[in-house]
Amino acid sequence: MNAPATPRRRIHIRRPTADFPSDEGAPAFVLERPLAGVRVGIRHDGTWRSWQYIARVWADWLRRDGAIPVLLQTGERTGPEGEKTHADLEAWHGQIDCAVSGLGTCGSCTMWSVRDAIAVEAKQKPAIAAICDEFVSHARTTASFLGHPNLKVLVLPYPLETRPESELQVVAEQYYPRFLALVGAAR
Amino acid sequence: MTVALTRPTIEVDDDPWALYELSLAERWGDGAPLLPPTDDRVHALLAATPLAPDHVLGKLPPRHGEATVELVAINATMAGCEPAAFPLVIAAIEALARPEFNAIALSTTTSSVHPVLIVNGPSRDDLGIDYKAGCLGGAAGRGSMTIGRAVSLCLRNVGGQRAGETSRSVFGQPARFGQCFAEWAERSPWPTLAERQGFTREQDVVTVHGSKGNFPVADTNNDDPRDLAYMLAKCISYPLSNYYLELTGGCGQIVVVVNPMWAARFGKAFASLQSFQEYLREHAWQPIDLWRPANQEILRRKDRVDAQGRVYLLNRPEQFVPVVAGGLGSLHAMFLPSWCQSEIQSAAVVRPAGA
Repeated sequence: MNAPATPRRRIHIRRPTADFPSDEGAPAFVLERPLAGVRVGIRHDGTWRSWQYIARVWADWLRRDGAIPVLLQTGERTGPEGEKTHADLEAWHGQIDCAVSGLGTCGSCTMWSVRDAIAVEAKQKPAIAAICDEFVSHARTTASFLGHPNLKVLVLPYPLETRPESELQVVAEQYYPRFLALVGAAR
Repeated sequence: MTVALTRPTIEVDDDPWALYELSLAERWGDGAPLLPPTDDRVHALLAATPLAPDHVLGKLPPRHGEATVELVAINATMAGCEPAAFPLVIAAIEALARPEFNAIALSTTTSSVHPVLIVNGPSRDDLGIDYKAGCLGGAAGRGSMTIGRAVSLCLRNVGGQRAGETSRSVFGQPARFGQCFAEWAERSPWPTLAERQGFTREQDVVTVHGSKGNFPVADTNNDDPRDLAYMLAKCISYPLSNYYLELTGGCGQIVVVVNPMWAARFGKAFASLQSFQEYLREHAWQPIDLWRPANQEILRRKDRVDAQGRVYLLNRPEQFVPVVAGGLGSLHAMFLPSWCQSEIQSAAVVRPAGA
């Protein structure tokens, strides 16, 4: 007859993971007024030329539709240059009624696009983040971590970079109505 | 008196394989086996710091989990940290949680960047922190391996960093398992990194650098150390550096790990550390003609090209951070390129009174 198996000894260990903040989130804002006379912020960084192109096209169309585009190029985020970027963003918040912040098409640029949009919404002004579809899930999780899971995201095709201007023009045209709808501006 | 721990407990078979399987299933780890964070082991680490277990060192990105001393001790136990090394893990977490380190961007980017730890101070040898041959990987000192790993585990388990999910790093890099080395201060002709950061030689100090990886260079062709420094500057300013994507060269630092033999040569050729840094800055540029025409236009638009057609990498000499370490082979150096969006941070190691 076999001897009964010795029960394996058990130990207690401590769970190594943190409790993460909940997803309750801040409210999202909508413009709910005609576009004419509205100061529309368009935020871009120095990296993504595709988005700079779309920003220029949309700025022209916003002027055509009676709005006032206010473009902002953000710079570095640390050191003395970072202080300048912070001051530029603060000033820009005072110059706009709503904003689109892009482009999210990499890890950190998605995070900054989301973060800068959230900063506008913190001033109770509607803002959306313009994110390429490859990075949308990253944008949504980032928005949640930053306490704003309700942030509206304009989903753009991926990749935009390296496309010729003729293709970017088509993208700008296709997504301009969606951009205005998300912000809540009526033409 | 032993303070009660607050993190939830889990019961597991007293078998290393069982813990390993659990860590893989729960996604706690880095893919390698972990040691069990039992209360006895965690308490041993907590006894090595004057900070209370519920003290919050900071919120770690990307998910902003609170890095309590207890949680950091649990992760450091899993990494195999000995109690004497635990205060260095705490110093590293304090440093990387500062806003200027920009850990939120660093932990979410598509870049390979990761916090690399550089240690100065009298505990270096006792803790087994590598600074001689193989110090950037392979020397296998307990301090280097476990302190670096503990910090990386905290980023995963407390910060919620997960490749392909919260972190979009395209490649990652081996340092994401943890990288920690020390300066060979005795062989340096310059003030130590810690001294340059405002500390003394008698203090244990951890410096955190957002490094994109280990970039090796080798030379036997330049007898004049100024010629060698010139070529080093040209290598550091490689044309697809992150710095040439930026609007300015004003952020971040590049750590230049110089072997002791080269350090002695540079020490004779340059009157001071500052003059060495100035020389590197002065020669770390490329001619605009190096780039293709469309790329030239972008650099011009960013105002990166000076009147002589030079595209400088960095704005200031002190952005070059020489550190002496490595074996005595006199032909190699390594630089740890910056991701340009993170400022190097240092923190002093704090131990209980009388320790």
